[in-house]
Amino acid sequence: MSLNLPGLLVLGIGYLSLLFLCALAVDRGWLPSRLVRHPAVYTLALGVYASAWAVYGSLEFANLYGFGYLAYYLGVAGAFLLAPVLLVPIQRMTRTHQLSSLADLFAFRFRSRWVGTLLTLISLLAVLPLLALQIQTMGHAIHRISGVGSPSLLALGFSLLIALFAMLFGARHSHLSARHDSLLAVIALESLVKLAAMLALGAVALFGVFEGPADLQTWLDGAGHVDQTRIAQLDPAQWRTLLLLFFSAAFLMPHMFHITFAETLDRRTLLQSSWALPLFLLLMALPIPLILWATQRLGIDEVGANAAYLAFNLSSSWWVDGLAFIAGLAAASGTMIIISLALSGMILNHLVLVAHPPIAQPDLYRWLRWLRRGLIAAVIVGGWLFYRLVGVRHDLSTLGLASFVGMAQCLPGMLALLYWPGANRKGMVSGLAVGLTIWLAGLWVPLLTNHPPMVFLPPGLDTLAGEPAWYSVTLVSLAANILTFILVSLATRTSAGERAAAEACSVDAVVRPMRLPLVATNGAEFKRHLARVLGEDVAQREVERALTALRLSPLDSRPYALRRLRDRIQANLSGLMGPSVAQDIVDRCLPYRHNGPSATEDIHFVESRLEAYRSRLTGLARELDGLRRYHRRTLTRLPIGLCAFGEDGELLMWNDALAELSGIEGDSVIGAHRDTLPAPWNDLLGQILAAPQDRLYKQPASLARGERYLTLHRAGLQGEQGEDGGNVILVEDHSEMKWLEDELVHAARLASIGQLATGVAHEIGNPITGISSLAQNLRYDTDDPVLLETADQIQALTDRVSKIVGSLVGFAHGGRHVTGADFAPTCMAEVTDEALHLIRLARSGEDVRYQNRCPTDQTVTGDAQRLQQVMINLLGNARDASEPGDRVIVEATPEDRYLHLTITDEGHGIDPRMRDHLFEPFTTTKPAGEGTGLGLPLVYSIIAEHDGQIEIESPPAGLASGTRIHLWLPLYPQNGEPQNSESTHEPDPDR
Amino acid sequence: MYVYRIMLFLVFSGYLFSPLLMSGWANPGAAWYRPFLIWGGLIALTLWLEQKRKLDERR
Repeated sequence: MSLNLPGLLVLGIGYLSLLFLCALAVDRGWLPSRLVRHPAVYTLALGVYASAWAVYGSLEFANLYGFGYLAYYLGVAGAFLLAPVLLVPIQRMTRTHQLSSLADLFAFRFRSRWVGTLLTLISLLAVLPLLALQIQTMGHAIHRISGVGSPSLLALGFSLLIALFAMLFGARHSHLSARHDSLLAVIALESLVKLAAMLALGAVALFGVFEGPADLQTWLDGAGHVDQTRIAQLDPAQWRTLLLLFFSAAFLMPHMFHITFAETLDRRTLLQSSWALPLFLLLMALPIPLILWATQRLGIDEVGANAAYLAFNLSSSWWVDGLAFIAGLAAASGTMIIISLALSGMILNHLVLVAHPPIAQPDLYRWLRWLRRGLIAAVIVGGWLFYRLVGVRHDLSTLGLASFVGMAQCLPGMLALLYWPGANRKGMVSGLAVGLTIWLAGLWVPLLTNHPPMVFLPPGLDTLAGEPAWYSVTLVSLAANILTFILVSLATRTSAGERAAAEACSVDAVVRPMRLPLVATNGAEFKRHLARVLGEDVAQREVERALTALRLSPLDSRPYALRRLRDRIQANLSGLMGPSVAQDIVDRCLPYRHNGPSATEDIHFVESRLEAYRSRLTGLARELDGLRRYHRRTLTRLPIGLCAFGEDGELLMWNDALAELSGIEGDSVIGAHRDTLPAPWNDLLGQILAAPQDRLYKQPASLARGERYLTLHRAGLQGEQGEDGGNVILVEDHSEMKWLEDELVHAARLASIGQLATGVAHEIGNPITGISSLAQNLRYDTDDPVLLETADQIQALTDRVSKIVGSLVGFAHGGRHVTGADFAPTCMAEVTDEALHLIRLARSGEDVRYQNRCPTDQTVTGDAQRLQQVMINLLGNARDASEPGDRVIVEATPEDRYLHLTITDEGHGIDPRMRDHLFEPFTTTKPAGEGTGLGLPLVYSIIAEHDGQIEIESPPAGLASGTRIHLWLPLYPQNGEPQNSESTHEPDPDR
Repeated sequence: MYVYRIMLFLVFSGYLFSPLLMSGWANPGAAWYRPFLIWGGLIALTLWLEQKRKLDERR
């Protein structure tokens, strides 16, 4: 029982419903994304190559040329075996520049919108026969099974259903290069279905008609041998030509280009398909001879175009017919969907948008989507018309080969794009025009007119006269194409833009972009400029999309970041409207400034590209790259801050040490102009770059880590010919050295004053003692009250001089080196009490109230006598500054390993101008004649001897006036643990 | 990258010598599946080279 029309319709509609369901399931997220994005899905989607030709055309071809049918599979398998050297570079280019079709790629490389238009027209002309082939097989298959209705009307219904599906699921994104998960999943499912159906047909042939492989071999060696000898053998040259045609189809055919490069998949998946797709094709090819031999054994002898449908004769069972039909339906529908999507994108970018640029379109995205949908329908209906008017008169091989030979005319251009930077637009267009003319005259026009092929054979190639038209046209057209291409390219000049694009596309070249400043200075200005052409909404979305992709802030004003943003926006617009329109828009809205310094190479960008290309380098290039990385690492890890500027003032390098010192990460400032660096680096680096000398010593700088002193060294990076190459600057942190020097100067001053004081005390002490003795004697020698008063005054004055001398001696002794051996546990509460006792003996300040709040259980390590001297000095100062009734409070609290003492008064405080000099000798706030200016320097010396610290706070926090002296003295270890003078908890040395 | 050169060599050699595949069709002594065996072997070789390439790139 065979399949009737209603059964066929149920089967066909059921299958298409399954596709809709699959697309819906992916769209709605019913299927896990791990499954949807699995590499196997991509490999199966690449199976779209196996069109109706693989199911029906291969049978027709095998019936004509035996194993010659394998060329269709082996050619594309060869291209995928070369994926790392052929397909991956194309994928890299298309992804970087968001190129979604062959026309985009050629327009980008040859810098001409007309090249894109030409490629679109060629693709359209070349693909129409292939599209007609798909439609024809479906119409004929349905008609053959059901035996009713017109094949062309049945094919029209089938085409409309496919168009509807492609419009619904293939044009959901405005960006052509966006990945369509649902579409990929559907195409993968179609590949699975056609593979399963073909394998099932093969199994029917092998085990249903024959009794297994052994029986088949016996038949081939025996009865079947006669049938095989009738089959012609392809000439080796023709075979190789076929291989070349199908090899180029792998990446030139619009549907293959679309799945391989426009659907954004990673490089790993593409490399995996280098063996997975050939395996898929092997399984698809395997059943073809089995079906052919089985029908031969059954005595079915179809000739010409009918041989394509031999699978329907394998059995009288309806399900075998169903399998043959479903295999063809899955193969044809997948190919038609992807061809229509790819061609609609090309027509949109290179015909429609070039003729009608979308200037300030109110809703650009929606407008583009609907335009694409219309074009998808137009392409499929165009394919049906071609089939109806032309295709019905030709067999599958004629239609298919006309298509493949046409697309092969782009092969020289594609190879030059990858491997010949010297090729130019004029050469490519001339070669393509010559090849195209020969192809049109030899294969395409004869399809329309049924006239014999017009093949021009140059002298010397007369032997091709008797060969099949496809063979002679392929050889002549490709040879003429390549020759013209090379000669014209060599004879004509290549523009600078083309050279730059050639470098961007060439496999062995690294892009060397130039550093040019942009007119727009940040993301907001980008939006404003683009809004003039794209409208505000689209401009905002495109700029934000690019900023998000690059992880940049809208306020980033680094020239480097702005250039990357411009490139990204151009690439994104290229995905939306094609490279020609995108370049026009970007050139018009986001121009470069040309009045600045001359353009130089963007070293940082080149380096980042080199890092990405590392795995592609071999031999000497790899060794050199190893050296480059070593030198780069040396500079990056250098323990001294290093930065480098281009001659235009753009920051090119900011190493790790400088990032740590400044607290600024290199990634956030590299590419910025010197003037826009965060303070104080803009001024500091500006100073050294402008300075006549190459060094700046110990420049103060307020950094996040506090006040630092930086020394900067500069060196020019002039080239060998003396041309300017920017500057490199070393930044050293000399803060600690500066502080040590200050300490040293201070100590030296104290030491010299101490020596002076000792000398003065010695020289003055003796005469003063004499004067005092004489005044004493005078008191005993007279009773005259006037003389006695004079003697008392002399004694009082000599006492005062003695006191000053005593202070000088005390200060001199305070500067001596005291070892820790003299230190003992000292209770500061007791020391304070004793000091207060002595203070109270003095005649002045009796009405000042003293409060000693020091805990009696806390002891410090020190010399009690000298600490008492400290307290007397500090309490005396507090008393002198206080008014009657004021309080002077002494408190102490333990802080880690130190006792923190404070002496707080409520007096008049200290003049801020004096505060920084209080520890210098002979500095006093007291009226002339009352203070020696040696008390606080002495206190400073004694506290330093005790490994302590002193700090003055005036007025104290929370008080309107007064002074608080802070002292930190090392606590005596309570449990006998040794005192660690190098404790990490010692007070901040900066104090 | 050296692996890529091996692949280039293999594909070019295959292109040159592939006409030999077709001779099996009408040859009574040859197994019918011979071309597919050779093809399968080539796929296995590619798979092996792909593993080598991964190791090469990881270095």
